[in-house]
Amino acid sequence: MRRLLHIEQVKLLNYNPFRITLGLYLLAFTLGLIIYPAVDKEIPVISLSDLFRFPDVWVFLTWVTEPYNILLALIVIMITTKEFNNHTFKTQLIFGLSRSELLLQKLLLVAVLALFATLLLGLTSLTLGLIYSYKLTFKIAMENTWILGRYLLSSFAYMSLGLLVALLIKNTALSLLTFIALRVFVDPVLFLILRKQELRWYLPMRTTTQLTPLPDLIEIFQRKLNSSEPINESAMDILPEGLPAWLNILMVLLYTSLAVFFSYRLMQRQRFT
Amino acid sequence: MREILSIQGLSKSYKNVRAIRNLDLQITEGQAYGILGPNGSGKTTTLSIVTGIIRQDRGSFLWFGKEPEASQRRNIGSLIETPHFYPYLNLERNLKIICDIKGMPYRDINRVLETAQLAERKRSRFSTLSLGMKQRLGIAAALLGDPRVLVLDEPTNGLDPEGIAEVREIVLQQVQEGKTLILASHILSEVEKICTHVAILKKGELLANGPVKELLAEDEIIEISCDNNEILREKLMDTPLVKELETENGLLVLTLNEKVSPAEVNAFAFANKLVIHHMLSRKRSLESQFLELVKEEK
Repeated sequence: MRRLLHIEQVKLLNYNPFRITLGLYLLAFTLGLIIYPAVDKEIPVISLSDLFRFPDVWVFLTWVTEPYNILLALIVIMITTKEFNNHTFKTQLIFGLSRSELLLQKLLLVAVLALFATLLLGLTSLTLGLIYSYKLTFKIAMENTWILGRYLLSSFAYMSLGLLVALLIKNTALSLLTFIALRVFVDPVLFLILRKQELRWYLPMRTTTQLTPLPDLIEIFQRKLNSSEPINESAMDILPEGLPAWLNILMVLLYTSLAVFFSYRLMQRQRFT
Repeated sequence: MREILSIQGLSKSYKNVRAIRNLDLQITEGQAYGILGPNGSGKTTTLSIVTGIIRQDRGSFLWFGKEPEASQRRNIGSLIETPHFYPYLNLERNLKIICDIKGMPYRDINRVLETAQLAERKRSRFSTLSLGMKQRLGIAAALLGDPRVLVLDEPTNGLDPEGIAEVREIVLQQVQEGKTLILASHILSEVEKICTHVAILKKGELLANGPVKELLAEDEIIEISCDNNEILREKLMDTPLVKELETENGLLVLTLNEKVSPAEVNAFAFANKLVIHHMLSRKRSLESQFLELVKEEK
């Protein structure tokens, strides 16, 4: 395992497109954090900085960060399709890696990137929480940290799907296009088509994004205004929808297992010339 | 002698093209085995299957007498077609990856780069190398860890005459050190210079195999003529002097059995009261013999 990781590390750290995409990811991450508080000053009464307080900061920041997962998936797609373009899968096979190890190598990469992103998100949320919170108790600060586990799963799920697309299509540009189209076009369109049916919540990309939902803003602001009269949430029509959390997590686990299974099948049958 | 590679009934097709059919080969320790055949005869397919790059349709093969698995390939140095490395990494880093795959320390890198005369370029990116240098790096990678078995597929492909000589020198040295070599080539002289054994492939089928000396031995062929060729022909047919006998443009073309000299044929004819008035030696070159072997089944 360490051997495989080390090989992957040498490949990645010297690969310019990886450095650039990772830079973009970090930039998007920090820019977001700079812009949100700046925008905040222009909105009276409702302050976005309320969202940076414990325990809401965990859920809110996870929701903000989730779309950047697409950049992580792009890294996985690029590095995998490059192995086909450079015929280096073949070289690694010849010198003694098995087909399963080739896949394991990429899955380890996916796991490391997912852990890295989760750690980054966790540290940022913690820092912002510490800055913006008035009341600071350990119990309040640690509430909602469960969302990090869901984020880890969602980024792993995204990248596994990216890996499957890359192994299936092999061409870098086409794989990137396919993946982006799935996320920004196919999934939303299917979601619209199925808008009256329960089935729409079972779409693979949808279940993944649903893992890290938008926090319950009404409740947060209600708490802030300290209103004694509860607002009728259903009237506002942003009641959180979708599958029950456990079913949603189960569906993502199922889709991810399927993606890994099909990646394995593809790897076993591939002709590496 | 220990068995290194044993191939049984190997077959592979690509869509409508039959790449190899029912191939059997046995390679034992210390042999320098040439796989000879024209382009498209299935050499690369065979080596790609035994090095795990592609899967066969039928048949099986054993490395070191065992079912094939990835870890065996760590003890085999292979170069299949053109070498492929990470273009954006320098030579040293590329070879470090190979060392990691093989699970061996990095200290052998300098030695193989010296052997391939690439030591000065070890910090250059792979993409900056010339074709010949890339090929030499492929050989350097194959030599990493000093494996007992080398599998080389057209190692001199695309090289200039100097490069060809250098690569052959490296390979010959390995053979002299007692390594087992499996070398695919379409160049007869290459196989003849380097190999002890040869298998000749054509359209994916094994035409012949055996020691180079036997298989590519120069048969003595002579053409003769006398006043009555028909009678001479009949008489010669019953003797152990000739292996083959053909009539060509009114001449008898004889392929002599081993250790039979033309003088014996002459003496035999004279003893049968036939005077040979035409006798010419037709030495078959290896090249034409190879071409003949390959042409035979057209």
